[in-house]
Amino acid sequence: MIVFKTFLKVLNKCKGIIIFETALLIFFGGYNIETNDVSINFVSSNPNILIINSDKKEGITKNLINYIENNSNIVDIDENLIDDALFYRDVNYIIYIKDNFRNNFINNNEIGIEVKSTGDYQSSLAEMMLSRYLKIASIYNEISNSEEELISYIDNTLQNKSEIETTSKLNTEKLNKATVYYNFTNYCFLAGSIYVICLVLSSFRNKNIKMRTIISSMNYKKYNRKLLISCSMFAITLWLLYVLLSFILIGSIMYTTHGLLYIINALVFTFCTLTLAFLLGNILKNKTVINGIINVVALGSSFLCGAFVPMEWLPDYVINIAHILPSYYFIKNNELLKTIEVFNFDTMKPIIINMIIVIIFSGLFIIITNIISKRQRKID
Amino acid sequence: MFTHNFKYSLKTLFKNKTLIFWTFAFPIILGTFFNMAFSNIEKNETLSIIDIAIVENDEFKNNKVFLETIKTLSDKENEKRLFDTKYVDINEAKKLLSNKKITGYLILEDTPKIIVNSSGINETILKYVIDEITQNEIIINNIINNKIKNNVYTDEIYNEVMQKLESNININHIQNQNLSYTMIEYYTLIALACLYGGILGMSSVGKTQANMCSTGKRISVSSTSKIKIIFSSILASYIVELIGIILLFLYTIFIIKVDYGNNLILVILLSVVGSLTGLSLGILITTVLKSNFNIKLGIIISTTTLLCFLSGMMGITMKYTIDKNIPIINKINPASMITDGFYSLYYYGAGDRFYFNIISLLISAGIMVLISLFSLRRKKYDSI
Amino acid sequence: MKNIIEVKNLTKKYKNLIAVNNLSFELFEGEILGLLGPNGSGKSTTINCILSLLKFNSGSIKIFGEYMEPNSSGLKRNIGVVFQDIALFEELTVYDNIDYFCGLYINDKKVRKKYIEDAIKLVGLQDFKKFYPKELSGGLLRRLNIACGIAHKPKIIFLDEPTVAVDPQSRNNILEGIKKLRDNGATIIYTTHYMEEVEIICDRVIIIDKGEIIASGTNEELKCLASIEEKIIVECNNFNDNYIEQIKELENVSDVSYNNNILTIYYTKGKNNLISIIKYLKKESIEYNKIYSCLPTLNDVFLELTGKELRD
Repeated sequence: MIVFKTFLKVLNKCKGIIIFETALLIFFGGYNIETNDVSINFVSSNPNILIINSDKKEGITKNLINYIENNSNIVDIDENLIDDALFYRDVNYIIYIKDNFRNNFINNNEIGIEVKSTGDYQSSLAEMMLSRYLKIASIYNEISNSEEELISYIDNTLQNKSEIETTSKLNTEKLNKATVYYNFTNYCFLAGSIYVICLVLSSFRNKNIKMRTIISSMNYKKYNRKLLISCSMFAITLWLLYVLLSFILIGSIMYTTHGLLYIINALVFTFCTLTLAFLLGNILKNKTVINGIINVVALGSSFLCGAFVPMEWLPDYVINIAHILPSYYFIKNNELLKTIEVFNFDTMKPIIINMIIVIIFSGLFIIITNIISKRQRKID
Repeated sequence: MFTHNFKYSLKTLFKNKTLIFWTFAFPIILGTFFNMAFSNIEKNETLSIIDIAIVENDEFKNNKVFLETIKTLSDKENEKRLFDTKYVDINEAKKLLSNKKITGYLILEDTPKIIVNSSGINETILKYVIDEITQNEIIINNIINNKIKNNVYTDEIYNEVMQKLESNININHIQNQNLSYTMIEYYTLIALACLYGGILGMSSVGKTQANMCSTGKRISVSSTSKIKIIFSSILASYIVELIGIILLFLYTIFIIKVDYGNNLILVILLSVVGSLTGLSLGILITTVLKSNFNIKLGIIISTTTLLCFLSGMMGITMKYTIDKNIPIINKINPASMITDGFYSLYYYGAGDRFYFNIISLLISAGIMVLISLFSLRRKKYDSI
Repeated sequence: MKNIIEVKNLTKKYKNLIAVNNLSFELFEGEILGLLGPNGSGKSTTINCILSLLKFNSGSIKIFGEYMEPNSSGLKRNIGVVFQDIALFEELTVYDNIDYFCGLYINDKKVRKKYIEDAIKLVGLQDFKKFYPKELSGGLLRRLNIACGIAHKPKIIFLDEPTVAVDPQSRNNILEGIKKLRDNGATIIYTTHYMEEVEIICDRVIIIDKGEIIASGTNEELKCLASIEEKIIVECNNFNDNYIEQIKELENVSDVSYNNNILTIYYTKGKNNLISIIKYLKKESIEYNKIYSCLPTLNDVFLELTGKELRD
């Protein structure tokens, strides 16, 4: 009990910096899930298109604009920001309709259109759409006697569409959000626990205090265990905080089996970060080093394992390296959860295996910690 | 005296492992992580070949337009190949779909029907292409109906229309070619390194201040002029910072292959000015706050992280989102100024926007240095 | 004697606390002046004021007849300071540390080199030139700290508790060094709360408590201030408090105390006291193991003047 009380007191001493860090993490997490960041998710499949029309919006021009409008997201962007918007993929495709487009097209089959394109998926889709229309229009233009006839030909053709049926009953968008959120917590859990636990432990491991604890009658294993329990209280609080936040940010999906599994998966990982933090806290003696190590360990695991960038986008060699990190299995589980429709032994098996691997990592960290602190009982 | 202090300031800075870690090693490590994580993103952005299946029923076999178009789109020799197509029966198609081996499959009945797992970009493209083929069928019928004045259907007419449909419409692209947005990550990284330079400024200026550091008391009671000491210390930290930035540049240019545009002189100008601003921010934090070295180090690191976050380090679109909604934040954020400077140089080339950033950086550095000097100039203290 | 430093009516307040109250004293050429006082008595504050590091509320400070200002580089050239806390660069070696601080005063590299060697010799760090501060023991660190402050051969040296937390051997070493400095012509202000040190090295002592001077003079003068001339200590076994009143009646006795078998008797005059107490002890059949007479220490002076021990 005395160890725990002291732990809380030391924790209380550094509450300012802890609150600041947590707020920062929550802010980052919240932002990343809310934004439709190109580097994170591709849920929306309709391209964002901006049309800048210098012709009168009549006849074929009007028809073209209507067609584009019905099949894409038309975005409105401040004139000064157009090029920035293109660069940052806020708009995928910009269509400039030149002055007198209508007349030149009807009379000479001339295409007075220029575009700016980002060259990504959505822009390809937008270009397919635009060139499709123009191609159809120019083919019909040869056989039409009037603009009305042309437009009716075009409309008549374009309204024919195939039927599409989606088999999955999953709420892809929500699940995607949950996965993005929990992947991001990888960073929060690592940075949060390592930072705080190392900071507190470094006070406990301070050379003078350590000498006292070594000579005290408390067995070193028991002492470590008590410290570990105190640290786990903190880690669980951190976990509860992020779980609570996920309910607020993601909502309904968190009340389903999917949600429960996300939470359990996070708990298993929290345990692992706890043991890792405990290990690092035992190795690191210098408080100034802690900050550096946290960043390298937390950012490294997050980038390499796909916490920030979807796993399927990482180069193969990075994924291979990632296998040696517990974060990989945590994130892999989040990604798997997103796709599971029915929960049965077959679908659950890979998830359980990944959890076991994370637990094995934790065990390994505990063993190493005990070996090290056994050695460190003598101060050199 | 100036060179004496300068020489020893360099020596103490280079020997301090914590400083060297943050200013030299950390940006390079982070750059390596970025490279690992982002190198594939833009390759993934372009269309890749989509796996699909087609239920090979009678309708399909008899539909010339579908048969031929899909064949062309799945042709390995075709540059514009879109699909890797399997022709299977309905059960096999279902199996392939549930095992996620294909994006979707097509059944041709009265109307074409596509079955997919979920919605997504590949699904959208599949649907789009099938729509196009459906519409081509109609066009062909319409054209043939129109052209066949004497009710003679000929392959010639069919081929002519097909050829037209397969030909490309040339759309004139006028966008800038430099569109690689992951570059922003590396620009924020340079901004980060510039701002971390503040740690160097903090360390070398802090040691001259009697109220911050015991060595500062010694320096204060010595017969050397304080201004000389302060300036030679600042100069030393600036040079160490620039060496760090140069290393980072060499690393990003030759190993990570970051594209800084083609105006090297201006890139250098921007980093020299950016480092100066970072240094001034560090000195400002050192002089304004009264706390120990580690807390100040923590504050510089957290502030830098926050500023870099706002300029897009953790989500590339962040800076743009702010530009769109609350532009003032980016106008006063030095990390954004540096990032925007590199971005405008890369995307727009040298121009007003670039110079605006340079000037903003200089002004903010000037303001911060002035405020700091106001307090650094002080020689007598109320308490030590 | 020429006065080198003249402090007049110096007063320094921190918010609610008066750290130095109307303090005046002089420092004469060639002497070692001890500023003696418990922790928090205002010794360091006084020194920092003289060095013009601290603003003070009123009073004046002159060094070599000039007012000391932060920009008085001519004056500063002649001053060396060894601060209480160790002021060194962790990143520099012993030699580089001394070179750095010496270089703030001495431009000429050749002269500086010689001066550094002298300083190293003085504090006895010849074998540690290439060591880094963290590799040195506490005593050696203190010596390095002193070397950094005096390498430029200043005329006035301020030593602010330079022997805090140092073992007796190192302390003697340091004290010897300080004497050597004086012998080489430096004038020294030495603050401490160890009276033994003051008794060993100081020519003149100022005792400060709560920011005020409570006594000043040479060791002997100070001891005269106290109304005690001799102190006799007896280690006895069967003593009880009843005897105390009787001893007080004896000739010359000013005060008696008995603690843990140690009987201490203070005398106002210093003649024949030992004989009379031995007689008394025999008469009352009090057994004793040890009995000795000693001169009063500064501690006794301080105790008498302030009513409290110096060491806390």
